[in-house]
Amino acid sequence: VKPATPPGVVRTLVIALVLAVPAVAWSSLDGTAASSTQVAQVRERDFHVMAPRFLAAGRVDLEISNAGPDTHELIVVRADGRRLPLRPDDLTVDEDRIKPRTVGNEDDVRPGTERTLKLVLKPGRYVLFCNMSGHYLGGMHRLLVVR
Amino acid sequence: VRLRRRSAFQPFAARGRVSVVAIIVMFALFSALSVALSIRETSRSRHRATVVEIASRQRTLAQSYVREAMLVHTGAAADPALTAQLLRVSADKLIDGGLAPEVNGDDDETALPRATGLARLQLQQSRRLVHDLTAAGSAWLAGRPLDRVQFTGKERIAVTDPERRLDVLAALTSNVSLNAARTIAASADHGIVQLIVTQVVLGVAGLLAALLLAAGLTAASRRQTAHFRSLVTASTDLVLIVGEGGCQYASESVERMLGRTGAELLGSGYAESVHPDDRPPVADACRRGEPDEIVFRLRNAQGEWRHVEAHLTDMRGERHVGGIVLNARDISERVVLEEELTRQAFQDGLTGLANRALFRDRLDQALVRAERSRAPISLLLVDLDGFKQINDSYGHDVGDQLLVQVAERFREVARAGDTVARFGGDEFAVLLEGGGETPAIALADRLLERLSTPITVADRTLAFGASIGIVTQAGDGEASREELIRRADIAMYTAKGAGRGRYEVFHSDMDRPVGESLGLEDEIRLGIERNEFSLQYQPEIEIATGAIVGAEALMRWNSPTLGKVPPGEFIPVAESAGLIIELGRFAMREACLQTASWESQGVLPERFVTWVNLSGRQLSGGGIDELVHSALAESGIPPRRLGLEITETSIVQGGVVGDRACGELQRLHSAGVGIAIDDFGTGFSSLEQLRRFPVDMIKIDRSFVQGGELDPRDAAITANVVSLAHALGLIAMAEGIESPAQLASLRELGCNLAQGFLFARAMPPDDLAERLRDRLWERVPEAA
Repeated sequence: VKPATPPGVVRTLVIALVLAVPAVAWSSLDGTAASSTQVAQVRERDFHVMAPRFLAAGRVDLEISNAGPDTHELIVVRADGRRLPLRPDDLTVDEDRIKPRTVGNEDDVRPGTERTLKLVLKPGRYVLFCNMSGHYLGGMHRLLVVR
Repeated sequence: VRLRRRSAFQPFAARGRVSVVAIIVMFALFSALSVALSIRETSRSRHRATVVEIASRQRTLAQSYVREAMLVHTGAAADPALTAQLLRVSADKLIDGGLAPEVNGDDDETALPRATGLARLQLQQSRRLVHDLTAAGSAWLAGRPLDRVQFTGKERIAVTDPERRLDVLAALTSNVSLNAARTIAASADHGIVQLIVTQVVLGVAGLLAALLLAAGLTAASRRQTAHFRSLVTASTDLVLIVGEGGCQYASESVERMLGRTGAELLGSGYAESVHPDDRPPVADACRRGEPDEIVFRLRNAQGEWRHVEAHLTDMRGERHVGGIVLNARDISERVVLEEELTRQAFQDGLTGLANRALFRDRLDQALVRAERSRAPISLLLVDLDGFKQINDSYGHDVGDQLLVQVAERFREVARAGDTVARFGGDEFAVLLEGGGETPAIALADRLLERLSTPITVADRTLAFGASIGIVTQAGDGEASREELIRRADIAMYTAKGAGRGRYEVFHSDMDRPVGESLGLEDEIRLGIERNEFSLQYQPEIEIATGAIVGAEALMRWNSPTLGKVPPGEFIPVAESAGLIIELGRFAMREACLQTASWESQGVLPERFVTWVNLSGRQLSGGGIDELVHSALAESGIPPRRLGLEITETSIVQGGVVGDRACGELQRLHSAGVGIAIDDFGTGFSSLEQLRRFPVDMIKIDRSFVQGGELDPRDAAITANVVSLAHALGLIAMAEGIESPAQLASLRELGCNLAQGFLFARAMPPDDLAERLRDRLWERVPEAA
């Protein structure tokens, strides 16, 4: 979660830059391999995460959309068979402790917007969840199996 | 605003005003729009701040609710129901607008707007979660199982501990409330961005519009400048600006108009190019800025003077001009034309002398001056003697050439200040200013002397004379112009009547009503129509026997308005007006009819001939043959009873006309009609012409007959003429016999016939018939 929100214009510019640079780099470096990338739709709303249950290992584009009304985020983390550890507030997942097995995250997905999270997933089990305050405990998590 | 209208030129002032107004209006509109947007955005911003505040408060209230519920659960005193109420009411008001409730007296009631868009969706979710939280709290405090509570926010809480469950619900409520506040705050950012963008767009649009309008103004100004420059440079008019230090500007047209460069006219060059006579008025006009229009002369590159007409505009007060603007046009051609027209209007085309109109004008001016200076003025009216005959005989070309030379003689004789004019025909006039009778007479003498020298025209030597009438008006005289001319006319006719080749000074005795030639022509015309003309007959006597052998038919005119007008007055007028043809026809017919009447009365002697005068005009006009035959036929008299008297000058004419007249006379003569030369000795007939013409009789002019008594030269001429007649086998007849002595001397000379007062004056036909019947004239009076 970003601690502060920049003003609209600046934020828009920052987002545009952040999105544009990797997009250009990606498309130029990965032109031939693009066909092997899987695309998976991840749909978030209050308070659910909807995503395919299974995916093949390799490059995956998670196309995240937020149906709202609340703002959400998506964190992808390898599952270890246990519940994710919580912070002392008992309301949010302790991201520091799961950092080593975190494979990707997308912050601040505003309602009505879409994001693409590019991942290279090895076979295994992964948890997709939102870590806004109370959202994980409120039901916003999903298990993904990569083969 | 149309900036590029090319259809027609518009003055800059009008276009400029429109453009400036358009710029101002545009800026005013843009500014008003900008201010309105700012005000609206400020108001919305204030509302948003309130909403953010209340939305954020929901988080605090949710946490308070959980804490109070726990306190109550542990038995402590708290009022979670009130907090729940505040949460629910606030949630409602945040969505639908209205007054948000106060909390613990910290906040006043706050007015909220109705939520829209994403913020509304989030606030609705917040309300659902508030409901779930308070419902869960109430259930917990009431000891009911929490898993029975129906959640409306679609959350699926994984924890079972009631307190943690409430914490998660509070967290969810707080989170969505805060995100709603963020959304609202972000929309505020968006509004500000929109405002900034709108204002930037408006500013840029305003700037562009102003630039366009300014460009339009500049272009209009440039076009206007070009327009006026082209007007000035392409115009044939010369534009000069004259200020202090002389000419400041001269347009390019100076080269077209004067063939000189503008630089030559700058400074004092312009004043030096003005005709010296025109410099004072031009300098005065350039100093005063008036009159509006002046005409002056400018020297061109060839050194000629061009007449220019300049319109003046005083623009000394104009900062950009600072001088008098002269708009000058070359009017030289117009001036030349005007001068030519003036010359034609006031100059006699043939001789170059002043014409009648100019003479009258000069006379008017002279009269005005004379009235002021009390100096006398004199007027000479000159009529050429014998000119009509020359004109009739030799044609108008010869007459015209003669007039040109006569005019030249007038110029030679007249003084520089005198006005010499040709009145028309052979009539001339001279105006002498400041001179009385003496210089006028001196001038008349010089004129008569100069004109007495014959003039050679077309290889013919023409002798003629002039009759001059002089009128002098003393300084205090009051006669009008027309009166003066009339008096000169009377004096001139008096001179003519007194024997020609002389002058007469007007005196009041001459002033009689008859003799006014003015209107006489019309009177004659009327007289012919009214049959006022008649014939009288003067007998012709055979000196040897005293018998009446003939009579000359003489025209008489008894006018009801003018009385009895002498032939000497109306015949010349009738001749010049062409009326003599009509009168001649009348005379011919009347004489023949009268002769027939006498014949029928049996009073005519065997050899009696009625003589009818023919004018030169009748002869030159042709048709005499026919006229005579027609008269003879009508009257029935034999041709030998008729004789034609022709003047000496009328037979002088040569050429086709002369030949035709000669032929006609010869035919008539062959038919038996008698031919006599009248006034013999006064003209120019030569023996050659006497031989050529079929003449029976020569009538010796009365001036020789009457002068013979006193002047031996006249007597000699008479004797010679008689001898000449006899030598040529012609009858000699003497006119104007008034005394027995004259008769005696003629008898001695062997003159055949005589006519005169001594025998009889002209008489009505009945009287003559009486005389013939009485044979009174068979006895000739004895010489004294």
